[in-house]
Amino acid sequence: MSVLLLQTQSVRYRRMRILKSVQTKVCVDGSLMKEYVLDEPLTEGFLIFLELFGTVRFLKHLKKPYFSFEKDLFISVKGFVGDSNVEVRYKKEFQDLVGDYFYLLLYYYDQGERGISQLKGQEDSIRQRMKIRL
Amino acid sequence: MDIAGQDTQAPLIYLNNAATTWPKPPEVLDEVAACLRTPVHEPGRTTGNGSADYPSAAREALAAFFHAGKPEHFIFTQNATDALNLLIHGFVRRTGVPFHAITTELEHNSVLRPLTTLEQDSAISLSVVPFAGNRVSLAAIKQVIRPDTRLVVMTHGSNVLGSVQEIKPIAEYLRTNDIFFIVDGAQTAGHIPISLSDIPIGAFVFTGHKALFGIPGTGGFYIPEPDAIAITRQGGTGTDSQTLTQPSDMPMRFETGTPNYPGIASLFAGLGFINTVGLEEIERKERDLTGYFVRELQHMPGIMLYTTAPDLPVVSFNINSIDNHEAGFILARAYNIITRTGLHCAPLVHERIDGSKGCIRVSFSWFNSLDECAAAADAIREVSQNADS
Repeated sequence: MSVLLLQTQSVRYRRMRILKSVQTKVCVDGSLMKEYVLDEPLTEGFLIFLELFGTVRFLKHLKKPYFSFEKDLFISVKGFVGDSNVEVRYKKEFQDLVGDYFYLLLYYYDQGERGISQLKGQEDSIRQRMKIRL
Repeated sequence: MDIAGQDTQAPLIYLNNAATTWPKPPEVLDEVAACLRTPVHEPGRTTGNGSADYPSAAREALAAFFHAGKPEHFIFTQNATDALNLLIHGFVRRTGVPFHAITTELEHNSVLRPLTTLEQDSAISLSVVPFAGNRVSLAAIKQVIRPDTRLVVMTHGSNVLGSVQEIKPIAEYLRTNDIFFIVDGAQTAGHIPISLSDIPIGAFVFTGHKALFGIPGTGGFYIPEPDAIAITRQGGTGTDSQTLTQPSDMPMRFETGTPNYPGIASLFAGLGFINTVGLEEIERKERDLTGYFVRELQHMPGIMLYTTAPDLPVVSFNINSIDNHEAGFILARAYNIITRTGLHCAPLVHERIDGSKGCIRVSFSWFNSLDECAAAADAIREVSQNADS
């Protein structure tokens, strides 16, 4: 997958929404895990979008195509392409600052280049606040 | 209700029995229902009569199962952690002066956390004995014993490595040296024969919801000489009610308030189930399942196996190319196979075996089958082979 692919393919993006949160727990490392049910299954297109903002690992040859998304100090995400359930972990140190980050990913996903730059701007703002705290 | 996000098309394969056994025998569920269908007629507390006295029946069943002489010296608690807290803090309070205590690297946080808290409070000084070959030896314990050592708290079976400790020679040595010995039997009770009359322990802790097939919220301990432990909980017992201090008789010395009747009923029925099937038969089947599974993983490329000959039906491993949490997530959501990942509340074991990254633990019970073992091994192989795809 590549940024180029995202920029050139004529995919009509559709905004995904969280229908409900089905599980919340604190993990061993202190991160907060939330499991969400989305209104539609996750797609490879969404992974291409995620790759712009962090590290995506995609194991497509498993029984179900598994992916993970890792963004230092922000969140990590686990799920399967084709599934509507997704597990999001909010990193311990800045949970209050990154609590909306997964919502932002879903919100800006369907907005093409404009969405990408707006989300990058939001990210910079969050990072500034992280720096102040550090 | 489906478990959220799981593939409900595939049959559930539950391999997290070292945490809590599932399913429970039908007899256990029936006994819980029977217990809840009838009013509680606790002798001495109500005017009713005629219903089952589950606490007394369960104490008798435990005494027979563990070959212990005094049924009333079995105390019911919420779980093994609760029992260990009651014993450890009660022993410190009874001793009254700071002393040296010993524990091991194999312990669960149910032991490590109370002891570390007491160490931080300067109530004790603490030595942690390392394991070698997955076991803690008497020789290793002897090396750290000091003139002021008063307490050793040690697991009987490791919840990560599945190794059973030779507690009898340790207990005999500690008894000779007047050191109180608390054994955490959470992982062994119900898996292997234990004869408490043959081992001079200070106290033996068990939990109900694992291999004894009770429901969560049950556990306890056996204590032959209860004076070693101070009374740290007070309240109603239904006996000697005019006295404003806690009765010192057993079991009221340590049991206060309304008991967990449905839980104790489940434990009673769980013991009955084990007796009906036969502990030897359970042990044989679990050994077969574990041996099969270990052999499958042993020859699998990309698998780091932390024990090749566990004494208990516990197998811990990592898939080299994938984080244990991710592997557990994939097994659960793609294959409907439930394992346990992470540190298993035993941080010192993981410091030694995997640099505190944690691992995947598979644990079997009587209710697992060879087909389930094979399906789990196939799934792990598939994940391992495709983890770099």
